[in-house]
Amino acid sequence: MTETLSYLLMAWSDPQLLLLTALGTFAGIYIGAIPGLSVTMAVSILVSFTFSWEVNDALALIVGIFIGGVYGGSRSAILLNIPGAPSSVATAFDGYPLAQQGEAGRAIGLSTVMSVIGGLVGTLVLASAAPVIGDLALRFAPRDYFLVAAIGLLLVGSLAEGSLAKGIFAAALGAIIGLVGMDPVTAQGRFTLGQVELMGGIHYVVLMIGLFGVAEAFYQLHNLDTPPVRQKVDKIIPSLAMVLKFLPLSVRTSLIGVVVGVLPGVGGDIAALMAYDHAKRTVKNPTKPFGKGAYEGLVAPETANSAAVGGAYVPMLTLGMPGDAVTAVIIGALVIHGLNPGPMLMVENPHIFWFTVGNLALANIFLLVFGLMGIKLFAKFVEMPKAVLIPLILVLCVVGTYSINSSMTEVYWMLGFGLLGYLLKIFGFQMGPIILGAILGPLMDTSYRQAMSSVGDNPVELLRELVTSPLSLILTSAVVLILLGNTSLLKKLKCKCKAAMARG
Amino acid sequence: MNKTDKMLVGERTFCVLLLAFSLVILYLAYQIAGFSSINSPGAFPLGVALVMIISAAKICVDLIGKARPDCNGWLDAMQQFRRQHFPKRTLIFAALAVAYLAAIQWISFYASTFCFLVLSIVYLRGGRIAGALLVAALLLLLIYLLFTLAFSVYLP
Repeated sequence: MTETLSYLLMAWSDPQLLLLTALGTFAGIYIGAIPGLSVTMAVSILVSFTFSWEVNDALALIVGIFIGGVYGGSRSAILLNIPGAPSSVATAFDGYPLAQQGEAGRAIGLSTVMSVIGGLVGTLVLASAAPVIGDLALRFAPRDYFLVAAIGLLLVGSLAEGSLAKGIFAAALGAIIGLVGMDPVTAQGRFTLGQVELMGGIHYVVLMIGLFGVAEAFYQLHNLDTPPVRQKVDKIIPSLAMVLKFLPLSVRTSLIGVVVGVLPGVGGDIAALMAYDHAKRTVKNPTKPFGKGAYEGLVAPETANSAAVGGAYVPMLTLGMPGDAVTAVIIGALVIHGLNPGPMLMVENPHIFWFTVGNLALANIFLLVFGLMGIKLFAKFVEMPKAVLIPLILVLCVVGTYSINSSMTEVYWMLGFGLLGYLLKIFGFQMGPIILGAILGPLMDTSYRQAMSSVGDNPVELLRELVTSPLSLILTSAVVLILLGNTSLLKKLKCKCKAAMARG
Repeated sequence: MNKTDKMLVGERTFCVLLLAFSLVILYLAYQIAGFSSINSPGAFPLGVALVMIISAAKICVDLIGKARPDCNGWLDAMQQFRRQHFPKRTLIFAALAVAYLAAIQWISFYASTFCFLVLSIVYLRGGRIAGALLVAALLLLLIYLLFTLAFSVYLP
């Protein structure tokens, strides 16, 4: 117990960790707020710089950037109507109308406090649920891992914007990229095209920097001439009465955020949209109509996307599966530092878990401090011209990629992935499923082969186990339900039911 | 299906190329170990390749109900695609990026980064050379302070 407490408070008591968390949160707010810079991009690039650091130092900075970045996206959503991050799309629905009505300061202040409440609820759930899930995960058979990964990929495919087919294609493409290199069991080359350089595989941080950095930079070239919008910002700190008024809603939407965040592959963007929808359906008398500056429409997504951060850590730390794109990168950081995210992490390195919990809480406190001050400097910073920002992003991508393995070949790969990502983005493909596919693909491959070996390569026996083991049966049912839920047959049935109900 | 229910210029060609790419992936997956065993190194990649083919085919099928873009023939579609998605600005920036990567190995990281930043900023902002020189120098100083001194990162 004393040991747990000391791990929990490690970031709070060590000046260096305290400073790194503060620095990360501060930088994250600005990175998240600048349209064109995303928290995923920042964390991907940052991970490559922190390879040589102590793991706690690296994690402290990354956690700060993550928490600050998710919140920072709301700033530009409110002030410029440009969500700085996908998780802030729903924030713009009511945040920007509030800014237009001269209430930008109050909107920012309320979103800050609500983000902190959401973040703390997410951290609390992580602290209480992860040990339980971790214990359960120890009983997972390889087939269960395969199924959980499949659920993650299907969810990210089906819930992401656009068609399920595009989501699944992107995830499968990512899986193929993740499988490039030597087979871990037989050392046979897979998709290497006879190139020795490819035998070691493609580092997914290279893929991430390409897809989230370079592709985004090229995409932003289209918005180069968008003039900045300036808003009047004052009265930042919200009154206690205002915070208390929205507290019940914020707790409800925080829980939505955590639950959505826990699902492998689904992150703050979906959580925020679901919470917004919940607020719209349940709040009967909003302060203003939804879409026209309702504070409830601001509170719901802001609490949910922050709570989803804690939720996203649950599958990452207990199953070794990313809760969203950012935790996918953090998995990479942990692996590079010799740690193995998954059920054994809680057994072998519990300090990492409790350190992360304490660090997340600390970052939320810093968020409250930095979120409510420095708004004048902030307003200047977000107006940084894109003509300067875009070349700078490219330079950072080059430096970040090179620092992984000191390889210029990987830098060219990164640029190639960036151009591929740009093309895919044009035609409505999401980048998230590609990354998750690249991480979950090799994991699924290993789990599949272990599961097959355990039943003597007998597929019938594997199928029997899928329906006889209670845990596997639940997971198999979830896979089937997600697939059925996305078929046109079910959609037609739903429409018919609705029509029948409407007829009375 | 797309909200607009209208195909983007080049979307059909792109989707067909994705399907063709998926078939190539299936072939490469088959090359790993053929159908030798359900637990071979190529078994899972074959499954993933099949998923790619099915989803790419579904993406192509989804296009059938969509209205075609307003263009007269293949050449016009190509030109529209280039104008919309690869305008001069994107092409020049891409060329600058490739030249930058090539120059890193020839003239060192700092010199090439400085040149790349100046040229890109001047081009994207439409002139203002003095400002671009100053901004590029400041950014280079920041990169040095951050990556060389603070992070001790190996630079190209």
